[in-house]
Amino acid sequence: MATTTAVVRVVGAGVMARPSRSLWSNAWWTLRRDRLTIGAFCVLLMLAALSLAAPLFSQYVFHYKFEQQDLLHTYEKPQLDNLAYLLGSDEIGRSQVVRLLYGGQISLFVGFTAAFFNLTVGVALGLSAGYFRGLLDDILTWVITTLNGIPQIYLLLIIAALWRPGPFTLVIIIGLLNWTGISLFVRGQTFALREREFITAARTIGARDRRIMFRHILPNVLPLIFVLAAIDVGAIILLESALSFLGLGILPPTPTWGNLLTNAVSYFVRAWWLVVSPGAMIFLTVLCLYLIGDGLRDALDPRLKTH
Amino acid sequence: MTHHLTARTVLVVAAAALLVATACSPGPAASSPTPATSEKPQQGGKIIQGDITDIATMQPILSADTSSSRIINLIYDTIILADPNNGEPKPRMATFSISQDGLTYSFEINAKANWSDGKPVIAQDWLTGLKAVGKSQKTVRKSSFQDIEGFLDYCVGSASSGCKGTAKEISGVTIDPVNAKKFSVKLRKVSCPAIIDLNGYTLPTQVFGKYVTDTSKDEIDTAPENTNPTVFSGPFKFSEWRKGDQIILDKNPDYWQGAANVDQYIVKVVANQTAIANGLKTGELTWGGIQPKDLADMQTVDSVRITKYSNLGYTFMSWNTLSPTAPALADKRVRQALAYGIDMDQVIKAVVFGEATKQVAHHVPVQWAYPSTALEQYKFDKVKAQQLLTDAGWVKGSDGILAKDGKKFSLTISTNSGNQERETLAQVAAEQYKQLGIDAKAAPEAFQGLVTKLTTGDPVIEGNIIGWALGAEPDPYQIWHSSQIPDRTKGTTGFGFTGFKDSEMDKAIEAARNPANAADCAIATRKKNYETFNKILNENQPYNFGYANNVIVGSQKTLQGFDPHPFNQIYNVYQWWIKQ
Amino acid sequence: MRDFIIRRLLYAIPTLIGISIITFLIARLSPGDPIRLFTFGIRDFTQADYEHLLHVYGLDKPIPLQYVDWITNALRGSFGESLIYHRDAFAMLIERVPATLQLAIAALLLQLVIGVPLGVLAALKRGSWIDGAIRVFGVAGHAVPAFWLGLILIIVFAVHLRWLPSIGLLTVGHDQWDIVDRIKHILLPAFVLALTGIANYSRILRTETLDVLAQDFVRTAHSKGLRERTVVFVHALRNALIPVVTALGGILAALVGGALVIEQVFSWPGVGQFTFQAAIAKDYPIVQAGVMFTSTLLVLSYLVRDLAYAMVDPRIKVS
Repeated sequence: MATTTAVVRVVGAGVMARPSRSLWSNAWWTLRRDRLTIGAFCVLLMLAALSLAAPLFSQYVFHYKFEQQDLLHTYEKPQLDNLAYLLGSDEIGRSQVVRLLYGGQISLFVGFTAAFFNLTVGVALGLSAGYFRGLLDDILTWVITTLNGIPQIYLLLIIAALWRPGPFTLVIIIGLLNWTGISLFVRGQTFALREREFITAARTIGARDRRIMFRHILPNVLPLIFVLAAIDVGAIILLESALSFLGLGILPPTPTWGNLLTNAVSYFVRAWWLVVSPGAMIFLTVLCLYLIGDGLRDALDPRLKTH
Repeated sequence: MTHHLTARTVLVVAAAALLVATACSPGPAASSPTPATSEKPQQGGKIIQGDITDIATMQPILSADTSSSRIINLIYDTIILADPNNGEPKPRMATFSISQDGLTYSFEINAKANWSDGKPVIAQDWLTGLKAVGKSQKTVRKSSFQDIEGFLDYCVGSASSGCKGTAKEISGVTIDPVNAKKFSVKLRKVSCPAIIDLNGYTLPTQVFGKYVTDTSKDEIDTAPENTNPTVFSGPFKFSEWRKGDQIILDKNPDYWQGAANVDQYIVKVVANQTAIANGLKTGELTWGGIQPKDLADMQTVDSVRITKYSNLGYTFMSWNTLSPTAPALADKRVRQALAYGIDMDQVIKAVVFGEATKQVAHHVPVQWAYPSTALEQYKFDKVKAQQLLTDAGWVKGSDGILAKDGKKFSLTISTNSGNQERETLAQVAAEQYKQLGIDAKAAPEAFQGLVTKLTTGDPVIEGNIIGWALGAEPDPYQIWHSSQIPDRTKGTTGFGFTGFKDSEMDKAIEAARNPANAADCAIATRKKNYETFNKILNENQPYNFGYANNVIVGSQKTLQGFDPHPFNQIYNVYQWWIKQ
Repeated sequence: MRDFIIRRLLYAIPTLIGISIITFLIARLSPGDPIRLFTFGIRDFTQADYEHLLHVYGLDKPIPLQYVDWITNALRGSFGESLIYHRDAFAMLIERVPATLQLAIAALLLQLVIGVPLGVLAALKRGSWIDGAIRVFGVAGHAVPAFWLGLILIIVFAVHLRWLPSIGLLTVGHDQWDIVDRIKHILLPAFVLALTGIANYSRILRTETLDVLAQDFVRTAHSKGLRERTVVFVHALRNALIPVVTALGGILAALVGGALVIEQVFSWPGVGQFTFQAAIAKDYPIVQAGVMFTSTLLVLSYLVRDLAYAMVDPRIKVS
């Protein structure tokens, strides 16, 4: 981050200039006192850790593999006698708790990877469109309004039903569909920043466009991108679980929180407890992400909260 | 699937039927009809059925889905009906006989058979149906009639299927000049399954005749009478179609076998299977299918009667014997091990709650073609399975996985996603095979991709779970004859995706299908051929033949006369009545 | 203003064209085809028959040609015939629209009826635990997976308590005009669909109400002696509802599109579920008609919303 330039906080109305490092230290100070956000962050870390450690849990704590079946112990109630059935067992005797832990791996992987794609595409396109304007901007706006014209989950479900992508293709598809919000935001910010004096100054010196975009504009947009990122990951986890629930995303025997609910209708009468745990995990994870996003936004730019 | 009959003499048929009926067959007995009461059938009331999809059409030649067929079978009668118990073709609107050389089929339509507008059902009506198939571009049934002399000259359509469209009449069909109800059909070769196909479609000429004139093109495909029929030969008449909601049929008072007892037959579109079960519980639906998972719940409902019978079809695991990535499947011993190595009873309990019977060969117990000699039942025997695998050269490595010549035995079992029963079956099977040391895994995928891979013989398929719905005609040519094995180098497709062939089996199939001597179309002779056929399959196990699941039907106890069978659930619908 | 309207309408056209291209491509370029699907297992159906049917339905032409055929027909009002039902695709779609519309409107009503008071209440009770709870709900409402909530509600209300049904929009055999039955059926799916909206509104209304409460005219009204509640409801609400009202069209359209998953969970016979089933069966004409319909609705609603904003608040830039 350039030390000579002032960091400009761009807001709907006025523009304020502050000494360069205080945005981050200010934010950190606010965050440190925001117990809710810190709490959410800790819970999220814990969930991630649990998921990553799923193989260890499976082997040493529950002594039960995720695909392991036991046709004699189907639809077991949650119990303490057999730790593997801590949260019950499903229609072919698999351990719900073990599958839940493994499921976290997929959900978090898809969430973060697809969000990364979204951000890359969104930021790149938004920066370019906002900076260069003209034809590039018009084309981009056309693409964005076109994509936004189709209800998102609708489009995703139709594509998934027609194409039946595998897990990696799925990540790419979600990555390519979800970036419009981010790019619109970045584009808007770039627009406004572009006219600021420090940019004009840089251009007068003769700095190349790419340098200006990446060294001057991007860092100013970056903080709020984190906010978008947190929310994006949450949204993607919800999307992926809806897809898997409908039998379109990741298919069994690989467990994901979504596809643990695909057979939920058969569980209603026999084993309703199997419906509670996967959804609760999704809810918890996404809630933490949204709270973190909210908290970051409060810390980085509280004035945005009203919009 | 269309009905099929070989009938040299009715006596032979009856005797064979008796033989089959008393043969020892595992599984639930065919349901007995509702207890005969000496009560007189009451008049009035409605029969309401639930269906998950709306109908597509009421034109028999265009129907390709069960919902449409259901309505069509209620408003149009056919000349032949498969016996509900064992599937043999029996006379319905017409009696039939076959010439000595097996090439000419003669039909005489019942004097009483008539249309709802008063006109009698005549031979011309059957011919109108045949011509409609010939002229239609959208029908999927053309190939069923290509053995009729002159049909290929008459029909239009794909040139590669042989349709020339040059003739104005079908030379093989002769209508008796004296008796309008008599006609005969000449075939190009002896074909045992032919009689089922010759059932054809009997359409009212007074309505559809205008679409099969010399100058007609394919107007039959878009005829308004396809969705708004006006003349009927069945027990019910079309009254109203509330699209997406329900179809209402009124009783046909002039039905030739006697007017129905109920006033209306209504089919309602419901959201899903559970809605049907709910409808039965509340009494809103008169009868409908019940899934095994809802059976326990249904049995507690006093007002509903449960009827069970074995399905005319089975769910199985096919093995690609030509798979380059799973070469073990080429060895008969391995496939037998895969049969011994799975506890099918456990699987049936887990997947369909015990409502199925294990299969070890192609034909199902309700068909007359089901072998009466004992077949190897492949009872669950892990030790034997392991021994067979060792004999075939597959030995457990240090990681517990079988290997041979340095290659591991890995097996991917595909199936279509979205079908809970098959997905569960795939996963359970994979787990059981892992116990044998096979690196097995389940891989559900979308049906659309699977279908293409199977029919084109894509080598990526190793094991696959799917099901066959069989018909009254047991001819298995399209699945088991060696000509039906898809060949990628030649670009041919087919349903023989196991790649398994056996010359003895081919001979048996051919002999039961197109014998040199027409007399060999007798059921007894064909049955012998199918014994050979099933024995070869039973021994070689190109499929693990899985199971034939039970069809469970629920009906209100107030519904009398209801007598569902594997081959036909509504054959006597005009005799049903509602006890009020 | 007129220029603005004309310009926006013109902008909508390339968007709709873009949508039509995307819709067409995602359908026709997908692997597999419907003919193979609905003819699998039919006796005597040969490869030659298959190729013939492919030709009859025009599926063997090159993709760009198929697109041109489709779009020219669409402009004339015909989206083609369903490959499976042999009926006009658009007509079949329209049959399903009322069901989805009922659901969307019911959801909208619930959003307003529950969300708005919640937001106002939170503002009035600022700082209290009620405020805190509503604010948490404001975030949590977005984090709940809709389909899961639907499943849980079904288990509680339909399976265990048996107060409400869980399938479809009417009990089989009941009259179409049985309002009580219809309300019982629509309650759960509409609530699930409304949830994110309720959370949104509670947040928006809370902020707006707080803003309004702090303004001068409120203090003036107070000094006039009016009770706080009157002040709030009459003045605050009116201003606060402006953003809500102007967004109505967009919300409705979004609800129509977003109802797909909920329609699946509750087996609600709406447009979304219909299009989705068609996608599984690869019935292209219906899929294309469905996506075009929902998208056109959405685009038009954005247009209406922008116009509404422009009319209501001339401060907002119009380009």
